Amino acid sequence: MIRYTAARLLQAIPVLLVVATVTFALLRLLPGGPFDREKALPPVILANIEARYHLDEPVARQYARYLAGLVRGDFGPSYKYPGRDVADILRDSFPVSIQLGAAALVLAMLLGVGAGLAAGMRAGTLQDRAIIGLTLLGISVPSFVLGAALVLGVALRFGWPPAGLWESPAYALLPALTLAAFPTAYIAQLTRTSVIEVAGRDFVRTARAKGVSEARVRWVHVLRNALLAVVTYFGPLLAMLLTGSFVVEQIFAIPGMGRFFVTAVTNRDYPLVMGVTLVYAALIVLSNLAVDLVYGWLDPRIRLAGDES
Amino acid sequence: MTRGRRGGLARARIRRIRVWAAVALLAAACRPLGGEPPPGELRINLGTEPPSLDWALATDGTSFLLLEQLMRGLTRMGPDLRPQPALAERWEVSDDGLVWTFHLRRDVVWSDGVPLEAEQFVRGWRRLLSPQTAAEYAYFLYPVKNARAFNAGEIDDPSAVGVRARDRHTLEVELEAPLVYFPSLTTFMVTFPGRLDLVERYGVDWTEPEHFETLGAFVLEEWRHEYKIVLRANPKYYGPPPSLERVTGYMVDMDSTALVLFEQGLIDIVRLPALEIRRFRGRPEYRTLPLLRGYYYGFNTKLPPFDDVRVRRALAHAIDRREFPKVLQGGELPSGSWLPPGMPHHNAAIGLPFDPERARALLAEAGVDASTLPPVRIVYNTDQTHKLVAESVQAQWRENLGLAVELENREWKVFLKELVSRPPPIYRLGWGADFPDPDNFMNLFTSSSANNHTGWSDARYDRLVAEASRELDPARRQVLYDRAQRILCEEEVPIIPFFVTSLNLAVAPRVHGFEPNAMDIYFLDSVSVR
Repeated sequence: MIRYTAARLLQAIPVLLVVATVTFALLRLLPGGPFDREKALPPVILANIEARYHLDEPVARQYARYLAGLVRGDFGPSYKYPGRDVADILRDSFPVSIQLGAAALVLAMLLGVGAGLAAGMRAGTLQDRAIIGLTLLGISVPSFVLGAALVLGVALRFGWPPAGLWESPAYALLPALTLAAFPTAYIAQLTRTSVIEVAGRDFVRTARAKGVSEARVRWVHVLRNALLAVVTYFGPLLAMLLTGSFVVEQIFAIPGMGRFFVTAVTNRDYPLVMGVTLVYAALIVLSNLAVDLVYGWLDPRIRLAGDES
Repeated sequence: MTRGRRGGLARARIRRIRVWAAVALLAAACRPLGGEPPPGELRINLGTEPPSLDWALATDGTSFLLLEQLMRGLTRMGPDLRPQPALAERWEVSDDGLVWTFHLRRDVVWSDGVPLEAEQFVRGWRRLLSPQTAAEYAYFLYPVKNARAFNAGEIDDPSAVGVRARDRHTLEVELEAPLVYFPSLTTFMVTFPGRLDLVERYGVDWTEPEHFETLGAFVLEEWRHEYKIVLRANPKYYGPPPSLERVTGYMVDMDSTALVLFEQGLIDIVRLPALEIRRFRGRPEYRTLPLLRGYYYGFNTKLPPFDDVRVRRALAHAIDRREFPKVLQGGELPSGSWLPPGMPHHNAAIGLPFDPERARALLAEAGVDASTLPPVRIVYNTDQTHKLVAESVQAQWRENLGLAVELENREWKVFLKELVSRPPPIYRLGWGADFPDPDNFMNLFTSSSANNHTGWSDARYDRLVAEASRELDPARRQVLYDRAQRILCEEEVPIIPFFVTSLNLAVAPRVHGFEPNAMDIYFLDSVSVR
């Protein structure tokens, strides 16, 4: 297990290097630079700025300089926010995204698995159909519509909860709901499908034939196996929720990291784009690893590569 | 079996009741909003994170708004937008207009008790101009002798720059050429005095609340990046103490979200989204005012058919500017002159009026047949407002001239790059005043301006603008600007001014003494809350 984990972590290094290289190249190919302004800067000033950020050097050297910084854990300065390092910006904003993402994750898991079970265990009934209808809604309504609807229909009408800002847990209510809507619906559908599928398998019939109580069949045999599908989705979901959603953070004025995925690109803030991309990539790698480890625990038939030897 | 089933139902009912009870409890436990707002605290929406509070590096409106509360310059903009004494209690200029002498107040101390000295201006300005600082707005001090050369690295000696402390409280500034509006320039944040001791001790962190020392009506109490900034009244402020104890500035990016927070009683002053203006009109919370911010279309005058001045004039005559406020609904003020209403030396009589017949005649005179002309291309940066304006222009030119018009939008930075590398035939841009002097607008279309993307240059225009910047007599200055504006907006027409943008605010009834102005500067030291 430890060897397996260590090997997977080592494999992550070339992955992140590729991500860094491709992002770096794409950014330089984008037309328009960080210091193109509506109020154009005189050439003298532009030259001073480019010298300060080494943008006057050949791109290959800029790339080498960036990688050397990364090795030291230095993400470089932000171009948009003079005086702030990318690492500072990520350190301030990432925890907020984690809080929001965690709230949404808990909501999505509880509601999604619950609804999926409620539907799958009673497939074909009215209850099942009602839940399916709701999940369709959850999947197809985009978050900016849902967010706005919650703000208008709840926050504005009842004066509560707050329609934005990030002061106390109450402020997380609407954004977490908005962010959780899609994964909740998706998890519900996944759970339902696999519950139905697993419930028809031989080992379930065997368990029943052996006289295992109905509750035990449902909650142990069916649920545990049905959760495998959900766990597969858990990896990308974790990364998606933890890095926040640009739209939700923007609608509810939450100081998370999600907004930088868009604003850093619009500002051509190269180091900040690199920083958020790398954090996101690292999160995906880590959450995929976590999923593989959980797999082994949930399904004894799955053996991790490192364990076989 | 039946008993058991009934028992199950009862249990389910009890469970359901329990759930509802929990929900009700939870709802009761949550304190509703809209209770008493914090006394003595004003809550405003900044919209965005100020990129920097280091006034040598700041360039944007949010930083400027905050620095106006935190700092003072030699002069300060009054409510009438004319420079008034601030750190300098008086000043005089030499007869040749080249040397300005500022006499500083003697009672000013920074928030850490350090007294204000003329030398702090000298060091601050040298830092602004040093190539290593790489300040974007260093060019604001280019009128100062040798400032540009020092900033360009052509001279290394900072003491060659024309600013010196004659004694502790007297600052002397030598200019390259006379400049009548110099006291307007010194209201601007980049000219504020510098505390290099703090910059050296704390590096880039010197603007964080624990190190930041200022001398305005407020000091920085808290800065949660990308979220909010809290200012506190400065007990050491030299002026009358502000009535507000605290100002909280949130960074709510979306105006619609900010408006809901306003209606929930969480923010006191917000900008209204265009679609909401109609709903607020007539309500006491609504404040509107035209800004010193012009919106115009520029021609690439090197490209046919726009190299022919008659075509440019025809296109200008074919625009009914009254359409824009109807389309945009933001209280836009149509203006055919480049100097916006509210700016000194504005002249409402200047500009080509809507005259479709004259337009068609001009086009015919230029030998242009609109029906055979390939479509005219308008390029704008992707944005709903710019799209609406472009569609209105497209419709008007088609209707009034029979011209086919193509609209193309670009992402912001792509658009800016294109303006410089190969300007489109027709493009949109805006300009907001940095300081309320006509030179800030008129300078834009001189031959040497980096913001002139039209390819048009006119020696007469350059000369008039330069002369006006030195002219002390307001009446003569008016004549010079009128002449220059006629060349720009009526004769040569490298640009067509469309309208002036308006400020649309909702201000909570608890806020008193808040007077918006055309520069969108907040004078929070004279605001109070109930």
